[in-house]
Parts: sequence; C-alpha cells; structure tokens
Amino acid sequence: MANFLAIFAMSWDALSGRTGYISFGHPFLIGIAGYTTAMLTYHLGVPLYLSIPAAVVVTMIGGTLFFLPALRIRGTYFALVTLAFMEIMYHLTQVIAPKVTGGTRGLSGLPEMVSGAVPNYYLTCSVMLLIGIGLWSLIRTGLGTALSAIGVDEEAVKSSGLNTNRIKLFIFTISAMVAGIGGALYVHYLGSIAPRALFDINFLFSILVAALVGGAGTIVGPIIGAYFLTFLLEYLRPYIPGAGRFVLYGVITLVVYYFAPKGLYSIFSSLRQRLSGKAGTG
Amino acid sequence: MDKLLEVRSLSKSFGGLLAVDHIGFHVDEGETLGLIGPNGAGKTTNFNMIMGELSQDSGEIFFQGEEVSKYPTHERVKKGIARTYQVPRPFGETTVRENIRVGMMPDSILQMLTMKVSTEREREIAESVGLGVDELAKYPSELSMGDLRKLELARTIASEPKLLLLDEVFAGLTTAEIAQLSTLIEEQKKNGLSYIVVSHDLKALAPLVDRVVAISFGAVIAEGSFEEVIASQKVQTAYLGQ
Repeated sequence: MANFLAIFAMSWDALSGRTGYISFGHPFLIGIAGYTTAMLTYHLGVPLYLSIPAAVVVTMIGGTLFFLPALRIRGTYFALVTLAFMEIMYHLTQVIAPKVTGGTRGLSGLPEMVSGAVPNYYLTCSVMLLIGIGLWSLIRTGLGTALSAIGVDEEAVKSSGLNTNRIKLFIFTISAMVAGIGGALYVHYLGSIAPRALFDINFLFSILVAALVGGAGTIVGPIIGAYFLTFLLEYLRPYIPGAGRFVLYGVITLVVYYFAPKGLYSIFSSLRQRLSGKAGTG
Repeated sequence: MDKLLEVRSLSKSFGGLLAVDHIGFHVDEGETLGLIGPNGAGKTTNFNMIMGELSQDSGEIFFQGEEVSKYPTHERVKKGIARTYQVPRPFGETTVRENIRVGMMPDSILQMLTMKVSTEREREIAESVGLGVDELAKYPSELSMGDLRKLELARTIASEPKLLLLDEVFAGLTTAEIAQLSTLIEEQKKNGLSYIVVSHDLKALAPLVDRVVAISFGAVIAEGSFEEVIASQKVQTAYLGQ
C-alpha cells in the first residue's frame, strides 16, 4: 500500500507541489484509470497489458479536463473545482450505466497482475521507484525551475517570456499519467474497485498528507511521507485497534508538520548538509 | 529615427473610472522616454496594457511597426518588450541564479528539459547589473531593495529585450544605489536598449531621459525635453495643484 500511496502522492506533488495549483481532485484521475481498466478486463476480457496502457491514456485525456479550470483560476478556487470533479465522478459511477460500472458495489474479481504479496510488493516498488526517478529527473531540469517560478508569481513568469499555459498543460498531463499508472495497477492489486473506496475524502487526505509530511515539491518527500504514514498506521494497529489509531496518526502528523513545515525531506537534507559541511571542514 | 513602440489612442476604464483616456505616445529606437505624472495618472496601467497583462478597451499598440495587441504577454516578450515592476517580484523560492535562468529560458518544453545551464552567461548577466558572484546563490529574501531591483533588471535583460519598461525603478533606493542603477541603465542603453522610465524621482530621471511625456488623469498633458515638460504650467498644476 505504501508504494501506491507514494505513486499517488508523487502524482499530486508533480502538479501541486511547485505550481501552487492545489488539487483536491486526484482521486478523480485515479478513478478514471481504475474504472477504465476494470471495465475493460471485467466486461470485455481485455488483457492487462492492453487495458492498463489504455487506462493511462484515458486518464491523461482526463488530465486535460482538469487543466481547463487552471486557465482561469488558482488557489482555493482551483482546489474546490477539482474537489467537485471527484464528487461528480463518484455520483456518475453510480448513476450512469451502473451495470457497466457496478454501481455502488463496484466491480470485483478483477484479474491480478501477479499473485502473492511479495511479488506484488516488488512489482509496485519497482514501478514506484521508476516513476520517482523519472519525476525527480524532470524537476531538476529548467522545467522544475519554471514550475517553482509559476508557484510564486505566474504573471512574472509570463513577463519573462514563458507560455505558462503550455507548461501547466504539460505537468498536468504528466501528473495524470502517473495517477493513471498508479490507479490502474491499484485496482488489479486489490482485485476490485468500488466508488466509495476511491472517491473518498479520507483517501484524498492520505495523498495530501503523505506529500506534505514528506515534503511537497521534492518528489522524494512524498515517497518518505507515504512510507512513514503507512508504517505508522500498521505499527499502531496492534496497540490501538480500530479507528482510535487514526487519532494518533493525525496527532503525529500535526507534530511532524509543526516542527518540520517543509516536511521530513527537509530534515534529511539539512542533516546531510551538516554532515557534508563537517566532512568538508574536518 | 524609427519608432520602436507607438501607442495610439489607448483607453482603459475600471468600472466608472477612466484610467487611460485615448493616450498616444511613442519611443524611438535607442531612446529613453520618461513617463511622469502624479499618483493615479495611469502610468502603470499603460505599462500593463503594453505588456498585455491588461487588455485595452480601445486603441492600438505598435511595436516595430506591428500591431501587438493580439499577442499574449509571453509573445510580446519574445518580440522584444520587457518590464520591471513597481514592487520587485522575484521568484522567492529560487536563488538569484535561478531567477536569472527563468529570464533566459527557452519557451519550449523540450528545450527546457534538455537545456544545458549556462552558468557563465548567468554570471555575466548578474555582473552586468552589478550583482556579484556571491549573490548568485542567495535567495531574494536575503537581498536589499537595491539588489532586488538589480535582480529584476537582470531577469528582464536575460530575455534580451529591445525595449525595457522600468516602473518606479528608483523607489526605495539610497542615493548611492540610484547613481549605480542609473549608470547601469546608461550602460545597457549603449548596447542598443531603449527605455520607458516611470519615476516620481524627477532628479534621478532628468539625466537619463531624452524626452518626457507627462500624463494626468490618463491623458497626455505635456511632451518634450525634460526642462520643457517640467516648466509646463499644466504639469506644475497636475503635480502641485492650483
């Protein structure tokens, strides 16, 4: 689960971490991918090696829909519009052709990618690391600098001669692609899909918290955040069963965020700088 | 001399307020034009319209003989118009070097992804506006107002403009910083750059400008040499009242 949360958090981070366009609708993108591959395999028997790429492409198209409000609005307004995308998708899956989407109960008995927990872990971990390396390389280019600049002052970026709409469309599509890969693999990992599990505010908050606690805008941070939160929840399980551990989970998250507002990644990078500084002077 | 920029009968209203009233002026190639006027005269609104950050209600903007109103801001920058802001607007999350890099950046995703960072060119641009090598790794929050103005100048120069619009470029600077910035402006002018300079600091403006346009309530009230414009009764009334 940590690997999937990391993929979703990196997808969110690519779009929102630097640009200041805060997405509250990432489950919408993840859901498009999940439902596309689920319906293709369940109803038409399409093999996974075709249904997953198809789901990613459809999600990238969905990403352009997501981009449209970003042409005119940003900040809180953009966040709320993207949240609406998620809610609309939640209701559509139940109202429009419930026989195809499975309605409220969703679809189950979907084919798995590989069987067994260990092979699944290695597969998802490899995909997560590949995505991480790809996105990390991307933000270290001039594009990463431009994205950071857009996050601070989009008008001043335009005044520097850059077409910010083109940059935003590109990063929205990349973010959607990553969400698509994660979403498609996720439903075949679970073997089922249900609207309430995907288009859910708690699912959204897990993604946001993983990215923010890990360190937004860094790509590496969301991986750290996803692993930290997943392990935290699982380690708390034997001691505080039931929903009680979510309270502690929230408190620990707040404490981390209070002492390291730029995320866990900033703690690691300042430690590394201190160590390398000492090594340099020593 | 050929007209580099010409503004014809430009107007802009905000609700019931007529901010710019059928204004017309031009800048010749290699010229520094001073644009003066009391607060609220419409100077910055004119800059915003020339850059495409604000669309005009009517009128035309010609740059090198081409009507540029149809182009968005980034296209106008590529054609050779750039600006600084009244209050410097650096990219606070990035270093001085990266701020300059944004100005130099090609407007193509592929080229952004594959661009080789020219640290030497970044250093040259920084030095051309008086920012030392030590400043390159600093963040804007660590800079003085004078250095922030230099940084903004560096970022605009990095986009290789032909015409630079300087908005209240001397505001908040010490006398020494004003002198230093004026020298930098003159040096860049020798490289072929033309300017429109908006400034309330007429003493600093006087030695820089070839010609001055004075505006009040969005309309031109005087035009000519600095001395002629300052001596104009209309300008004195606009600034000092009756």
